[in-house]
Amino acid sequence: MSTAVIQTTDLSFSFSNGIKTLQDVNLFVPKGSVYGFLGPNGAGKTTTLRLLLGLLKNQQGKLEIFGKEFSSNRVEILKRLGSLIEQPSLYLHLTAKENLDIYRLIYKVDRNRINEVLKIVGLEYTGKKKTKQFSLGMKQRLSIAIALLHQPELLILDEPTNGLDPNGIIETRELIKKLNREHNTTVIVSSHILNEVERMASHVGIIHKGRMLFQGSLPELQHMTSRQSALQIETNDNDTASRLLQSFSLKRVNDKLVLPFQTREQTAAINRLLVQHGVEVYALHAQQDDLEQLFLDITSQN
Amino acid sequence: MTKTKRSASFWLSLLGAGVIPTLFFLAYVIKPERCYSQDWDKHFIQGWQAFNAFLLPMFVILICSLILQIEYKNNAWKQVFASPQTIGNIFFSKYLTIVFMILFLFVVFNIFMLLSAIIPNFFYSKFTFLTKSIDWSQLYLLNLKTFVSLLAIISIQYWLSLRFRNFIVPIGIGLALLVTALILYQFRWAHIYKVPYAMTVLTLEGALETRSTGPVLQNHELNSIGYFVFFSVLAFLDMRYRKERG
Repeated sequence: MSTAVIQTTDLSFSFSNGIKTLQDVNLFVPKGSVYGFLGPNGAGKTTTLRLLLGLLKNQQGKLEIFGKEFSSNRVEILKRLGSLIEQPSLYLHLTAKENLDIYRLIYKVDRNRINEVLKIVGLEYTGKKKTKQFSLGMKQRLSIAIALLHQPELLILDEPTNGLDPNGIIETRELIKKLNREHNTTVIVSSHILNEVERMASHVGIIHKGRMLFQGSLPELQHMTSRQSALQIETNDNDTASRLLQSFSLKRVNDKLVLPFQTREQTAAINRLLVQHGVEVYALHAQQDDLEQLFLDITSQN
Repeated sequence: MTKTKRSASFWLSLLGAGVIPTLFFLAYVIKPERCYSQDWDKHFIQGWQAFNAFLLPMFVILICSLILQIEYKNNAWKQVFASPQTIGNIFFSKYLTIVFMILFLFVVFNIFMLLSAIIPNFFYSKFTFLTKSIDWSQLYLLNLKTFVSLLAIISIQYWLSLRFRNFIVPIGIGLALLVTALILYQFRWAHIYKVPYAMTVLTLEGALETRSTGPVLQNHELNSIGYFVFFSVLAFLDMRYRKERG
């Protein structure tokens, strides 16, 4: 059992309207992991992250970060983590360096570190440009730079790729993976984009309507999906192929044949069967959107 | 303090400090013959009278709101509260920034008032500013007493600006209280010395009367300190125990 950087026990929270935004959330973020915190909009992701930072007063349940109870160790814990919640918090009338300088003093960090983090996020040439003139992508990157200033052990990122173009999304993702790989930084990233989470996370937690529906490693989640995976075949003669594969629960979707995936050996056997009977197999692969289907299944059941 | 760089509060301080001295300067330069009877005493008293009554409290109301709005506008409160600073630290650093801006205003006002008298004197030698000396201890006392009487307003406006995200609410409330206080002052209400927003104007009245006699701090100034302590504690507890921060 790995040590937890973040651990919550029966965390519950309601806003003043009385609606339970979070109910019995038991979060477990292992040390050194990239934890993808998944959920549809309004599921409670941001509320959970705000509680982790003390931006919301904890009402019910236990909240531990770095093995310490949050409310009695607030400043000590906050020294070791960096965060980016919702929209970037930047002083628009100041330049990138000036923004970093403000936080540098709070985190008691060396002046050289400012240029270092600007280089890490690719903003070292912004010079005297005021932040209000930055694009959204640049603002996001500057916010990440602020979060990285004091070399935190834990990064809490709330939808960091929100509003970024594909290039920006890839860069952010690679940056997170790099920090995790080279500095062993634990990262918890919330998102509603499944593909993104799948490409960088080592662990996943799925939250829906304030409740945790799944929590575990990515392979565990993918194992769940393989049970529901499908095999997609493209041939030159779908009629013959359908007849040959009658014993499988075959479906014809447009010009493709879809049947439930069982094992890799079975896939090879299907291919052999078709080829031996003169059918030309143009494509044979597993459907890519399994995680999405699983996610929809999980969240629709509740 | 870096956050106030190039922000509205800096320019407001310069503007606030410059208005009255500029008017005096213009009066001296445009109609000098009417002003030759002016001496340092009258110059400062008249200047502070105009300053204390409305401009200074108004400035404090605006500066408290503006300094805190830097965070609201930039959505930065959440980053401030998620940084490793105690709540006390966050509370006092903002408070100190406001006090510093007000002191800056005082300094600039004094300098501008000096210049507004000295410069015309270079051109119109019939003025006596350059030949007569300034009663520095009186001037210092006036500054000090005015600042003390301002403490009540500072604390109330700080509390209001922390409580309300909306820019206009604390300004509206402050303005309403200020106007009410000035009206009560005009009517010579018996309990006027308890009204926080009237304290600056009372200080000037008191300064004229108790020149070299009497205690340094009068009743209303002591009351101002009392209000300051009360509202500061209230504002701190508000920040400390609030359910939602940032």
